[in-house]
Amino acid sequence: MVGIVSQAFVFEVRNVTYRYESVAALDGISLSIERGKRIALLGANGSGKSTLLRLLNALHFPESGGIAFNGQPLARDAFDQDAFAFAFRSRVGLVFQSPEVQLFNPTVFDEVAFAPLHLGWPRTRIEAAVAEILGKMEIAHLRDRPPHRLSGGEKKRVALASVLVMNPEVLLLDEPTAGLDPRSESQIIDMLMSWGGDGRTVITTTHDLGLVEDIADYCFVLQAGKVAAEGLPGEVLRDVALLERANLIHAHRHRHASGVIHSHPHTHPHRHD
Amino acid sequence: MHIPDGYLSPATCATLYTGVVPFWWGALRRVRRGLHTQMVPLLSVFAAFSFIIMMFNLPLPGGTTGHAVGVGIAAIVLGPWASILAISVALMIQAIFFGDGGITAIGANCFNMGVIGSLVAYTTYELISRDAPVESPRRVWAAGLAGYLAINFSALAAAIELGIQPQLYRDATGAALYAPYPLSIAIPAMMAGHLTVAGIAETVVSAGVVAYLQKSQPSLLRGAAGGATTKPLWLVLMILAILTPFGVLAMGSAWGEWSAGDFLHPETRRQIAAASGGNELPAQVPAGLQRLARLWTAPLRYSSQVPAAIVGMVLIIGACWCIVLLARRIRVRRNMSFVERTLTSLMRASEYAASAEHVTESRGLFQKIDPRVKVAGLLLLIVAVAAARELRVIGGIFLFALAMALLSGISLRKLAAWVWMPVLLFTGLIAAPAILVTGPRSAAFLVGRAETAATLVGLLVLTTPWAWVLKSLRSLRCPAVFVAILGMTYRYIFEIMRTALDMLEARRSRTVGTLTPLESRRLAASTVGVLLNKSFQLSGDVHLAMQSRGFRGEIHVLSEFRARTVDWCWLGLFVALAGGALWWGS
Ligand SMILES: Nc1ncnc2c1ncn2[C@@H]1O[C@H](COP(=O)(O)OP(=O)(O)OP(=O)(O)O)[C@@H](O)[C@H]1O
Ligand SMILES: [Mg+2]
Repeated sequence: MVGIVSQAFVFEVRNVTYRYESVAALDGISLSIERGKRIALLGANGSGKSTLLRLLNALHFPESGGIAFNGQPLARDAFDQDAFAFAFRSRVGLVFQSPEVQLFNPTVFDEVAFAPLHLGWPRTRIEAAVAEILGKMEIAHLRDRPPHRLSGGEKKRVALASVLVMNPEVLLLDEPTAGLDPRSESQIIDMLMSWGGDGRTVITTTHDLGLVEDIADYCFVLQAGKVAAEGLPGEVLRDVALLERANLIHAHRHRHASGVIHSHPHTHPHRHD
Repeated sequence: MHIPDGYLSPATCATLYTGVVPFWWGALRRVRRGLHTQMVPLLSVFAAFSFIIMMFNLPLPGGTTGHAVGVGIAAIVLGPWASILAISVALMIQAIFFGDGGITAIGANCFNMGVIGSLVAYTTYELISRDAPVESPRRVWAAGLAGYLAINFSALAAAIELGIQPQLYRDATGAALYAPYPLSIAIPAMMAGHLTVAGIAETVVSAGVVAYLQKSQPSLLRGAAGGATTKPLWLVLMILAILTPFGVLAMGSAWGEWSAGDFLHPETRRQIAAASGGNELPAQVPAGLQRLARLWTAPLRYSSQVPAAIVGMVLIIGACWCIVLLARRIRVRRNMSFVERTLTSLMRASEYAASAEHVTESRGLFQKIDPRVKVAGLLLLIVAVAAARELRVIGGIFLFALAMALLSGISLRKLAAWVWMPVLLFTGLIAAPAILVTGPRSAAFLVGRAETAATLVGLLVLTTPWAWVLKSLRSLRCPAVFVAILGMTYRYIFEIMRTALDMLEARRSRTVGTLTPLESRRLAASTVGVLLNKSFQLSGDVHLAMQSRGFRGEIHVLSEFRARTVDWCWLGLFVALAGGALWWGS
């Protein structure tokens, strides 16, 4: 497994299966993620996107198959060593799909300071980093509020800030814009995209096809725990048969003035700004 | 039959309060259904009627007095439940404002006259007259018998309560602590008057009013109180009220209602002995009786009867209005299940306490103190309260906490609703048996300590953002894991409560009509199951989210407080107070 890696890839996933009790969430999935790229993971509900991100973040470990990070295998026993664990955690950050899960500290400040504090940063650096990211995310005024009493969009910003504060080189985002109003959505997309570059890799899951071309240089389509297709966003979005199979689009049925009922796939590839 | 303060031991009083509360609760719930009818004005009419009828003192053999209660007719017209409320209202007003019957004995008196009287009267009347037409004479004598039995069963209950006291409660010398006469004397003495004069009075009142209603307001006797007007009844009441001066047909007090002074006066001693089958009173006023009798001094007297009767009636109408409001509240809240109600109110109170916003908004005295000083100081005071052996010391600390709360802009209402009432309810449950086992003093200690400690904690929580409390605990070298668990438990309680509420709401929107109790219990049970599952899932996910950000089994906390000179002064004050309390109190 280890032999086949190349340093051009941050993650290499080979034949990984993972199951929750009886449900197979990942079913022999293989993919490689190039360093410095912005990647989109597309897939219908339940296709295994969130599960894949958790495995990439080494929160779960594959049942069979293997994952390598920068050429090094991610195995359970590797995380027994503090040095390796801290190095990995400060380089890879995951923003969870539900902010409820991620926000567990008494105040926004503590929430955002949690990662640096536990990664052993010195106090002054923590305070500066927290202040900076709160400003960037426009949530400085929420500093002393309890996170669980914020609005959905504010929570999402705090969740993002709590990961971005580590300045990770790989950012895993699980549906970062779900539940945001249009203004916040485009703000956050712009932020995240300006975050990429400098050799940083951003992996985003979504089922919003309208976003893909903005957030990704390359994308994977997941279906039932496997990669159904991959390619440049433009190519993937044009493959209507594939998207329909992957449940990412549905037939758009409407009646014309002539009275003829007309049916065509609803792809919606444009964003309205 | 109005048992005064000091004749029943605190344990007996507590037991009878406990016995009567479910009836009050049940009655309130049932009265709610009748709110659209004339039930409420009727309720006040009968409460007032009972109040006034009890002022007509009749001479009894042996120089004591007795009176009718009016419970028979109330139960016949209102039904047993509303009748319990009507009689209880009358009895409470007599006890609180006129000193007729004791405050500690309200439970006992309401139980004897309200509950037993109403149930006996209603059952008797229903059994005899169930299918008799409204104008039938059978109803008249059924009412008479109902009244007679009701007042006698009430009196018997009172006599038993009084008679068991000397058997149960004696001091070291064997002298009775409370009511002095045993069952063998109390029952004949009490029943002599009620089987005769008072019983006959109650019979005449019940039968007479039924006969009167058959002609003037037959609809009142049909059970459904709708449609009837209460105006003529009020008129009768006014006339009765004006007649009350003539109602004092006899001076002297009823058996078992003597004041502490009556024990010492030779003339009254002679009369009491005569009424008690020749048995002399103990030479000394019983110790417990003397202590309890001083508990409450009523602001009004019956001395000028007409004003007393009118004041009483005004008070009764007010009280009945309160009952309406109470019953309305019960109705409004009924749409929510008990579980939902509890969740909602818990949520509201604790979310309020958790929100840093309101605390930082209101700038009071306590808000300005360094949270670490507050946490440490209040913990010291709590220790002092727990160790105190003097009620005065506990009271002093309580007053200090109260003053601090007021200076910090915490309203008394908030303290009462969120701190005192819940603690009182909770410790009350514990204190009730404690009274039985170890006496009222230890119960007072229990309640006093709990309330004072809770007030101190409330003071801390209401003036300090929760996050700061946690941080302070941490910087005071509380183990990190403990603080983390405390913090997260607190936070996830909201999450789980909110989920529970959402689930209940979602289910309710899918069910039509009201649920039977069985259905709602099932619903609650399955909801709890799903909820438990969800919370396991949540805690698992949260653990992952912590790991993802570098958590390796040990929690770190950043503390960012800086103590100023003022804070050191406060700390000094707390230490001095706690030290003083420990020194004085033990
Ligand atoms: N904790 C769990 N326990 C059991 N099964 C789970 C659990 N989490 C996910 N699954 C199952 O694993 C499969 C993949 O779930 P996953 O959350 O990875 O999907 P997803 O692509 O992120 O979907 P969505 O777009 O709805 O977020 C689903 O069939 C789901 O039912
Ligand atoms: Mg998902």
